Amino acid sequence: MTSSEIVLRARDVKKSYRIARRELPILHGCDLELARGERLALMGPSGAGKSTFLHVLGLLDRPTAGSVEIDGDDAWRLPLEGRARLRNERLGFVFQFYHLVAELTALENVLLPAMIRWNSFTFDSKKAELQERARGLLGRFGLQERLKHRPPQLSGGERQRVALARALFHDPPILIADEPTGNLDRETGEKVLELLFEEQARRQLSLLLVTHDERLAARCERVARMDAGRIHNGLRG
Amino acid sequence: MNETGEFGAGMRPEALLELALALGGFALFAALVVGLAYLIMRVLFLAVPAPAVVRFLSWRYLIHRPTNLIGVVGIFLGVGALIMILSIMTGFLDQTRKSMRGSLSDLMLILRASDRRRPFDAEKILEVVRADPRVAAASAHLSWPCFITRQGGNSMFMLSDPQLSRNAFVQLAGIDVDDEKSATEFHASLVRPPIYGESVADPRNPFAPPPEYDATVGMPRASVIVGDQLFDAHRLRRGDFITLIIPVRDEQSEYGFAAKEREFVVAGSFRSSENEMDLERVYLDRGQLARFMAGANEDDPLPAKATSVSQVLIKLHDYERDGDATAEELLDKLRDSGVVDGNCLLVTWEQFRGSLLGAIENERVLLGIMLSLVLLVACFTVFAILSMMVSEKRRDIGILTALGATPRLSLLVFLAIGFWDALIGAILGACTGVVLAIKIDGIERWLSDALDVQIFNRAVYIFDTIPSVVEVLPVTAIVLGAFLCTLLFAAIPAWRAASLDPVDALRNE
Ligand SMILES: Nc1ncnc2c1ncn2[C@@H]1O[C@H](COP(=O)(O)OP(=O)(O)OP(=O)(O)O)[C@@H](O)[C@H]1O
Ligand SMILES: [Mg+2]
Repeated sequence: MTSSEIVLRARDVKKSYRIARRELPILHGCDLELARGERLALMGPSGAGKSTFLHVLGLLDRPTAGSVEIDGDDAWRLPLEGRARLRNERLGFVFQFYHLVAELTALENVLLPAMIRWNSFTFDSKKAELQERARGLLGRFGLQERLKHRPPQLSGGERQRVALARALFHDPPILIADEPTGNLDRETGEKVLELLFEEQARRQLSLLLVTHDERLAARCERVARMDAGRIHNGLRG
Repeated sequence: MNETGEFGAGMRPEALLELALALGGFALFAALVVGLAYLIMRVLFLAVPAPAVVRFLSWRYLIHRPTNLIGVVGIFLGVGALIMILSIMTGFLDQTRKSMRGSLSDLMLILRASDRRRPFDAEKILEVVRADPRVAAASAHLSWPCFITRQGGNSMFMLSDPQLSRNAFVQLAGIDVDDEKSATEFHASLVRPPIYGESVADPRNPFAPPPEYDATVGMPRASVIVGDQLFDAHRLRRGDFITLIIPVRDEQSEYGFAAKEREFVVAGSFRSSENEMDLERVYLDRGQLARFMAGANEDDPLPAKATSVSQVLIKLHDYERDGDATAEELLDKLRDSGVVDGNCLLVTWEQFRGSLLGAIENERVLLGIMLSLVLLVACFTVFAILSMMVSEKRRDIGILTALGATPRLSLLVFLAIGFWDALIGAILGACTGVVLAIKIDGIERWLSDALDVQIFNRAVYIFDTIPSVVEVLPVTAIVLGAFLCTLLFAAIPAWRAASLDPVDALRNE
């Protein structure tokens, strides 16, 4: 493994929204590199465009200009299915508001990426193995007693741990986290972060973490700053 | 039953239990259908190359969101009601058609007297008619209007009867028993259990004097068979004497006709189960009617100039195949052989009742169109519920997208919900509708009994049971129509789900 292997690269990403027939630029050409196994913190004032940028990187929101390379491919030039596949297999997403499906149990929420990847026949034939893995993951996160709970029956910290387990289920090389502790109290947030960093180190994940917390940023190898749609320090070296 | 008049006293206690049992049975059945739909889902999705989440999530949404039940119930009610109503209406129309036909036989030769007033020769006409190989049987009729009075002649009460006031005249039908039996439903109307009347003692020889008749009286000598309802309207008993009054041509009279009257003995009643016939018709021997009209005694030979036939009812071997052709050709043959003249008509029963039959067909089409609106409403409930679901589930759509779903997958999830709605609703509705349609008569009787109210008054209609005909084709069409319609309606919100921007949904809690 070469430390300079870039798994995610954004070049000159621009994004603007049309509001009332006027172009409203949010991102003014952002560059970012994320190397394998690297922890990168992205900081910036509210409204700077961090979430917008993450959505572009996470292949959820099409940039007005610029490119996003994942594993060397220009992801936004891929067909719809190709991008969906990258989201499913290469990217893990953790949100500030957990975003679990309320009708599903914790275990089923963790299995969602697998249910999206495989058709019924394949899923059914792998089910036992997949469930075992999901159980193991939730068990490691201290949720072995919460497998059958549905999100409304879980605390915020527990929900975020389920969300983390779901993001990691397919063992993606890239994990994008948008203020994962922003909605938790300090102590609970601390616990979730411990798990996040632990998994990151164990799996050699490339982590892109948006945070407002300087102490948290200090634990990352690199800190990029975003202000009014521009990134400073996004590139390596 | 409810003699005390107390509120609720009419409800039998057992009725509640029966109702509970029926509802319990239905709940069990509904659970079975849901189980069946689940099985179909499992099997179906092994073949469909859709992500497992479509099956999983759509079913989960369906079960966990009671609002979805509204869609199911909507389709269930729509399909069930449609099948039931259509079956009953088809039954009504079929029954009406059938009873029209029963009284008319396949073809009818209408003998209209020309100015020469040479009486038609029934025997010769029948001979020509029966010579046609397509003809199965033929029966000569002599029809004449008449008044009925009881012994002692009290015709006033007849006019005060609301049902009879418009039927002050009844129709005398002179027939030959054996011919009539083979050509029409006459025999069936003799042996069908009467509602009000009393059957004839011996259907094989219906004009024989009834056992109640005292032969020593000597008069009258001929007997009549009275329609079931007419029998009741005149409060008749078997063996009663009635006086028939008929108008006959009389050039000397100021009005061109005079009245003749004669006493007859009532041999019994017949029930054709066709309102009009049972209310208006009196059968008697054709020869006796001809003698009565000609003023000859019962035992006299028939006078040569007597009118003895006014119609000939013809039954064919295969009406559907030969009806129209036979009607045309036979009339030509009859005219060629000189037994009838140009005034006479030979019509099929459908021609005779042409406008009525057309109206029935019309009604069926109209009914179908109107009831389709019921289905449309049912489909619309699915549309409304799913639209609500999509709005409610925007966030989930965003989550799925973030986890690797394509817009197609979001579309499939919501389309699948519509599919379950349609599947469960249609199966449940079809089964319930068919069962209700088949059992409607029993259900009505039970309800009438339980509530102590008469819902379907059998005396008012011409039917003894609420008719219903469950046809495979309409039921299939309804089920498939509901299914496709629902899917079509579900496709609109599903498409909207697919075109939602996932980011919008993910930004906030
Ligand atoms: N759909 C949209 N249409 C128009 N403007 C938008 C849209 N989404 C976001 N914006 C604008 O883009 C800007 C950046 O928003 P974004 O959510 O990326 O900020 P952020 O850096 O994540 O802030 P925070 O730290 O509060 O989460 C905001 O000014 C917001 O109003
Ligand atoms: Mg943000």
